[in-house]
Amino acid sequence: MSIQESLRLVSHGPIAVLEWDLIGEKVNKLSSPIMARFREILAELKTSPYKAIIFVSKKQKIFIAGADIEEIKGLSNAMECRQVLSEAHEIFNALEDLPIPTIAAIHGACLGGGCELVMACDYRLASDAKETKIGLPEIKLGVFPGFGGCLRLPRIVGLQASLDIILQGKSVDSKKALKMGWVDECVPEQLLEKRAFALAQEIVSGKKGKQFKKYVPKTKLDSFLESFVGRRIVFSKAKKSVLSATKGFYPAPLKALEVIQKTYGCTSREKSQAIEMAGFGEVAIGPISKYLIDIFYLTESVKKQTGVPSLPDLKPKTIRRMAVLGAGTMGGGIAQLAADNQIEVRMKDITNEALALGYKAASDLWQKDLQRKKLTAFDFQRKMSLISGGLDFSGFGQMDLVVEAIVEDMEVKKKVIAETVKHCSDQCIIATNTSSLSVTEMAKAHPYPKNFVGMHFFNPVNKMPLVEVIRGPQSSDEATAAVFACAKRMGKIPVVVKDGPGFLVNRLLMPYMIEAMFILEDGMDVQTVDHWFTHKFGMPMGPYRLMDEVGLDVCLKVVKIFKKSLGDRIEIPKITEKLASSGRLGKKNGRGYYSYDEKGKEMGVDHSIYKDLGLSQPTQKLTEKEVLERGVFTMINEAALVLYEDRIVEKPDAVDLGMIMGTGFPPFRGGLLRYADSLGTKYIATELDVYAARFGKRLTTSQPLANMAKNDRKFYS
Amino acid sequence: MAKSGRDVVIVDGVRTPFAKANSKLRALHPAELGKVALKELVNRTNLDVNLVDEVIVGNVGNPSDAVNISRVVALRAGIPQSVSAHSVHRNCASAMESITSGYDKIKAGSADVVVAGGTENMSQFPLMMGNAFVQTFEKLSMARSPIQQLTALAGLLKADLKQVVDLMTTGPFQSTPFKPRVAVVEGLTDPFVGINMGQTAEILAKEFGLSREEQDEFALRSHQKAVQAQQSKRLDAETTPVFLPPKYKEFVTQDIGPRAEQTLAQLAKLKPFFDRQYGTITVGNACPITDGAAMVLLMSREKALSLGYKPIASIRSYAFAGLEPERMGLGPVYSTPKALKKAGLTLADMGLFEINEAFAAQVLSCVKAMGSKKFAQEKLGLDQAVGEIDMEKLNVNGGAIALGHPVGATGTRLVITLMKEMQIKNVQFGLATLCIGGGQGGAVILEREQS
Repeated sequence: MSIQESLRLVSHGPIAVLEWDLIGEKVNKLSSPIMARFREILAELKTSPYKAIIFVSKKQKIFIAGADIEEIKGLSNAMECRQVLSEAHEIFNALEDLPIPTIAAIHGACLGGGCELVMACDYRLASDAKETKIGLPEIKLGVFPGFGGCLRLPRIVGLQASLDIILQGKSVDSKKALKMGWVDECVPEQLLEKRAFALAQEIVSGKKGKQFKKYVPKTKLDSFLESFVGRRIVFSKAKKSVLSATKGFYPAPLKALEVIQKTYGCTSREKSQAIEMAGFGEVAIGPISKYLIDIFYLTESVKKQTGVPSLPDLKPKTIRRMAVLGAGTMGGGIAQLAADNQIEVRMKDITNEALALGYKAASDLWQKDLQRKKLTAFDFQRKMSLISGGLDFSGFGQMDLVVEAIVEDMEVKKKVIAETVKHCSDQCIIATNTSSLSVTEMAKAHPYPKNFVGMHFFNPVNKMPLVEVIRGPQSSDEATAAVFACAKRMGKIPVVVKDGPGFLVNRLLMPYMIEAMFILEDGMDVQTVDHWFTHKFGMPMGPYRLMDEVGLDVCLKVVKIFKKSLGDRIEIPKITEKLASSGRLGKKNGRGYYSYDEKGKEMGVDHSIYKDLGLSQPTQKLTEKEVLERGVFTMINEAALVLYEDRIVEKPDAVDLGMIMGTGFPPFRGGLLRYADSLGTKYIATELDVYAARFGKRLTTSQPLANMAKNDRKFYS
Repeated sequence: MAKSGRDVVIVDGVRTPFAKANSKLRALHPAELGKVALKELVNRTNLDVNLVDEVIVGNVGNPSDAVNISRVVALRAGIPQSVSAHSVHRNCASAMESITSGYDKIKAGSADVVVAGGTENMSQFPLMMGNAFVQTFEKLSMARSPIQQLTALAGLLKADLKQVVDLMTTGPFQSTPFKPRVAVVEGLTDPFVGINMGQTAEILAKEFGLSREEQDEFALRSHQKAVQAQQSKRLDAETTPVFLPPKYKEFVTQDIGPRAEQTLAQLAKLKPFFDRQYGTITVGNACPITDGAAMVLLMSREKALSLGYKPIASIRSYAFAGLEPERMGLGPVYSTPKALKKAGLTLADMGLFEINEAFAAQVLSCVKAMGSKKFAQEKLGLDQAVGEIDMEKLNVNGGAIALGHPVGATGTRLVITLMKEMQIKNVQFGLATLCIGGGQGGAVILEREQS
């Protein structure tokens, strides 16, 4: 019944309107039952007297969001895949072959399978509303368009544009879509249906008929690139850029490229579709797609959360005005991000010079967008106008949130927090952006610690998607939820964590960085180790490069804090002493493990580092496996403690989300703990114990991990 | 006088530093300057912006890309879109007009919270094309055939040539159909009697028998007092830094105008600018053209009290008056007695004076005229002189000669400077007054609030 109702055929004389409106769902998607119903309707239409058909969505902001992701995730073997896909192909082919011309009147998101559906229609009209997006994001889920998208898109928009869309999983607005020839018209939102009817009338009256859109190159260069020789250039360039972007870790874009290369220009639809099906099957049943889908679900679920699991409907106050204490790298970055998301923000610092840097940081980022035409001069002006600065607490009486981003010194922070509170209203939430100090201790400086939380952004603020929301023992539900919501509004993915040294992400990273220093002491060289971690394991940067980025002084400071709070489990490498006295601060002073030019561009490993650290020339005696396992397993070992002993987070997925969004842990591995599960805790524990015996007891399997290993339990059960 | 809930109080005021035209602030649109001042005012007063009933901003140059500049300032400063905003123009008193308009609204009960102020960027006053020149452009744009286009182009080149010739052969204040029109020069020329503001000051200097020396001395004192006020950080209380886009390497924290090294000898060397032969007005004893903005927060007393504010001053009265355009500099002499009468006060009650220093000669003439019974009887229809002005109480932090005179912002600057000084000096009443191009004067009488 509900399926019947979800897809309604409404008759308007010679014109039929097919209304998509999935009952009981927020969005329209192409699940199996809907596809079956669609097949029925197409069969019905084939013999109907209608002269034109219009497709519309009755959802507010969605046309068709795509295939049912749950069904993609459920695909476990090639057979199953082939069955689902060939059915879809049959249906879309029937649509394409329908003797009656079809018009898709697209308003709202038209993505993935939905987009492939409209590509099988004769005419595509798109509304000019900003929610109208047309695209093929499948690659982000580790697959590629499998309902004929790899065949129809290149035909409609040409090879270059289609590769750009499919390989990067892009979506475009309707203006861009029109320019590309992807849609036929971009119509004002309010006139879309009217225009669709007018077009249908033209079809009814015989002025227009079926249309089989084919790309026509506009320039000589475009024509060349479509030619036999030009194509090969396009494909080889595309392959190169895929490889450099993914380091070859992701099979889907390469497979998609292969499919398009084999099918482009092929005249047999059946043959082409068989190639697409086979390729899709290969990537869809593999683990990487499953991992990417899990991560997609994780980030989507964050959007629905409040940050307080017991109160899923909590509506915290909206942060309209906020202040940042300190206009430095972090404070300035937070101010820019706030203003970028329409929050009035006040920077407070102790000198005008410092404030000027804050303004500059924001301005520079938006200037780039301005140059790339992502921003108009008016947008730029408006965003800049949301930021103001001062040396005193002016305006703090109206603040909903104050984020502290001053020097990492407990006493200073406590003093400043106590002072700040005096200038704020009672409802104002104060948050600390500390990365290493105790939020619980800091909260003591606040007379109402319920209004105090941690809000830990990662550097660079505009790029790193994670925000750790640190809920202290006294932080209120309201304050936690308000900061959680604010982080979301700022376009970030918040993860609520309990207070503890390094919270979640740095807690796991620190032992990894320490292990990297031991690996250096054991005779490995910086470049090889970093290369293994990036190109063999898939980290965005290796541990030494990462330490340079964080700042070596900061790393050493945090190591000490960890030693103090975690005790004997933390062993301090000997080289830290020498590192501290070498004057190397990392990227910020141009000298770390690597050297950097004035603009901060990396200039390669600084080979004098070994001498400075009192190390002999590298002997390379460790294997790739040993190095990677020491680095990664030590994080897994720590994660077991974080989860089951200190209970910093409740569930393993928070660890994975945190690591992927906060450190760029390779998504294709599913996250730290999904990766651990893929190896098995037993294996990890056994290896760790071997390493502990060889390299030091810090690598001893932690109790909770040992317990898991004993019963061969997984993190995700 | 008994206090009333409908009294109009000034909660606080803030301004940008004033910078001599074509110096540091030249690239900032006047709306941007206004935004900086207004945003700071909102922050300093911890104002809930939703309470604002009206934003009134004075501006003289009226930039063509922000014709109702008040609205632009308000929106950029984060005042809600639902709050109305309008701009006012009364030449040099535009930013006094904004305050008095706000005063009237509050008095009438049609508003409780008004942001008033003014903004001006005189560096950005445009250079406009002469009429004859514009016509040649029109011909070019209308030309259809190649012949027409060529003819039009030739006409444009010819006009170009004429422009250069006119520029070289005519005086700076003489206009021709081809010469570019300089907005700042035209703005400072009286459109009714056709003489420049400097020339109106020359008239006063001669009629009141003011020597070059006393004018230069007055100018020097203005610089000395302003420099003193800068060094003692007194002026920091009313200014907020302006950070300079796009690089934000620099910021302006103090007025650019007061000169610590200014000497009488240097001033004496300057040639008279408006009357080369017999004149005494030089660029040294006149105010410079300037960029800057100023804003105050006005409220009804009852609203201010209910929000827990401690206002700095209340507005006791105001008055504008008209006089001969060619003697516009005497405007304060006409407006002051009117305002005093409304307030039921005398000049002797005033503990501090801010008279805008358009020209040293003009302020000195005002002082003389106010002290003159004869002037009062002949010109003002009063029995007695307006009163003596104690020079020690006049413009104690320097005036426009040193600080500058961004025409659309000065009126508010005078009020801010006055009210802050009244608090410092613990003075009950103060007068802020200025002369207005076109032949007017404006005056506002403030009473200190206990805070």
